[in-house]
This record gives sequence, structure tokens and C-alpha cells, in this order.
Amino acid sequence: MSKLPFLLFVLVATAGCNPGNKSGQSVKFQQYFVEGEQLYISHCSNCHQKSGKGLGLLYPPLDQSDFMGQHFAEVVCLIKNGKNGEIAVNGKTYNQPMPGIPTLTNLEIAEIATYIYNSWTHERGIIDVKETTKILQECGGD
Amino acid sequence: MKKLVLFMAWAGAIAGCAHQEKPLPIFGQREVVNGDTVYHKIARFQFVDQDSAMVTNDTFKGQIYVSDFFFTTCRTICPIMKTQMLRVYKATAGMPDVKLLSHTIDPEYDTVALLHDFAKKLGVTSDRWHFVTGAKDSIYKIAQTSYFATAMEDKSEPDGFIHSGAFLLIDKDQRIRGKYDGTKEEDVDRLLADIKRLQKEYE
Repeated sequence: MSKLPFLLFVLVATAGCNPGNKSGQSVKFQQYFVEGEQLYISHCSNCHQKSGKGLGLLYPPLDQSDFMGQHFAEVVCLIKNGKNGEIAVNGKTYNQPMPGIPTLTNLEIAEIATYIYNSWTHERGIIDVKETTKILQECGGD
Repeated sequence: MKKLVLFMAWAGAIAGCAHQEKPLPIFGQREVVNGDTVYHKIARFQFVDQDSAMVTNDTFKGQIYVSDFFFTTCRTICPIMKTQMLRVYKATAGMPDVKLLSHTIDPEYDTVALLHDFAKKLGVTSDRWHFVTGAKDSIYKIAQTSYFATAMEDKSEPDGFIHSGAFLLIDKDQRIRGKYDGTKEEDVDRLLADIKRLQKEYE
């Protein structure tokens, strides 16, 4: 009997530790998400922060972002190609150039996209490499 | 039991140390002149901040300040440094004797207007956080010889510059009292604690 609370704790803690894994996501999703997190930390979190909150009016937030919701294909493209000029996020204007990372593969972009689109307030589910490949062909990034 | 005694002695020693805090170190060379110790101080400087105001040593008279070197187009460590410096800015909001001083090491690009825009977007004001620009040589020289920070041009670097992510804590006598890695949250925690320790010296 004394073990029950402990077991419950472990169960709850494990469940709580897996963002985006609410309904038992696939192993593939987990792989994408974990790889994506590492890539996000090395390429994106400098400016957008680990918390996804951005920095002032210099770097827009990702944790809550109407732009991400409305411009999915553009987000996939700009991870690879960067972005110059004004961008409106949650009613605020940002205008700091974002450098592209042309060395990223379509799979890595799919992993980053899966990570950012299933973290913080987002629950889009896996973004497959087939999907990013198609989008990247259309934006001229591949 | 023996171990417990040892542990208690160790814990006691630590508690004792924490009780009577040592003053912060004073960085740099020192010499004794007529029986008085003369410490390394920040050399005379004159820069212009984001509001086109002249910023000199006198701007920080009777003030503690934290200094760093950056540039607005830097994509590597600067965004983290600015995130951390913003923490310092917020944490020292109620301290009228604490100011911040960020030097651009790319004065050709980072004009007064650009620094003004940068500070505004960061949501900070020049009464507490000065972003300064000036003659490139003066900035590099003061970085290297006064603040012991690395700052120079290097075309082989991705962004064209080499610079350290250091935050320097300067006391009211223009002496360096601490050096911190402005890209590490824990180091900036230490800086925040040291600012309070330094304030106590002047109480």
C-alpha cells in the first residue's frame, strides 16, 4: 500500500514530462521532437529563447504566435531561408533580419518544425519530412 | 559517528564563512604610492549614447555599473547577452545607484539612431542603460586595456568580430570588482548577488 503513492507519482511525472504526447504519440513523433529540440537549442534559441518567448520587440515570440498559426508554409521556408523586412506577430511589428540556415536538410527542418509546433501552446502533431520537402520545393529553398 | 562529526564541522565552517563575507576582489594591477595602494581604474572615456547624450566616466560618478561589449547585428552570443543584461536591468530597477553600459564594437554600422531603435525595441531607457558608440579605436582600446575584455575586428569570423561575452562589474571608484559570463544564467545570478554585496560596501 505504501508503494501506491510513489507509483502514482512516477506515473504522473512521466506523463507530465512528455509535451505533445497526450494521446500516446508514435515513436517517430518522439524522435522528430527530441531531435528538433536539440536543433532548436543550437540554431534558434539564441534569439527566440528556450522558452520561446523571444526578446522585446527585437525577436518575435514562438510560444504564442498568430503568425505561426496562419503562415505554416512560410515558417517552414524561413527556417531554411531566413527572413528580411517587417513581420507582424500578435499585433506587434518586428524588423530584425533573421539569417537562414541553408545547410539544414529537409528532415532537420521537419524536426525543428515538429518541435516548435508541438511546444508551448502548439499542438499540431508531427510534421513529416515529406511535407517539408514539398513546401521547401515551392518556396525555392530546395 | 565520526563521519557525522566531520560533516558538522564542515557545515559549520561553511556557515561561518557565509556569515562574515569577504569583500569582492579588485581586479588588475596595483601599486603602492606613498604608502597608499593605487588600484587599476577605468581610463577616461567619452562616448555618445542612444539619445545622443555624452557619456563619460562622470556619468557614473557615485554609481555602480555593469559594462559589456556587443553589436546589434551579432547573431551568436549577443542575443543571449542582451537577454541576460535585460535580467540585470529588471533586477536593478529599484536601485538608483546601479546603471548599465553597453558598448557597440561595430560603430560604423551601429549609429546613434540604430542604437536608439535597438534600445527602444528592447524596452529600456537611457537613464539606466546606456548604449554607446564612438571612435572604433577608443572602444577597442578601452575594452582591452580598461575592462580586460576582448573586442576586435576579424574578417574571418562569421560576423566579422571577435568579442567576449563578459559582463564587468565596476564600483563607484571605477574599479573592476567582478567578471561574469554574460551568456550563462548562473553567472549572471552571481553578478546580481555581487551587486548587492558591493552596495553594502558603500553603506
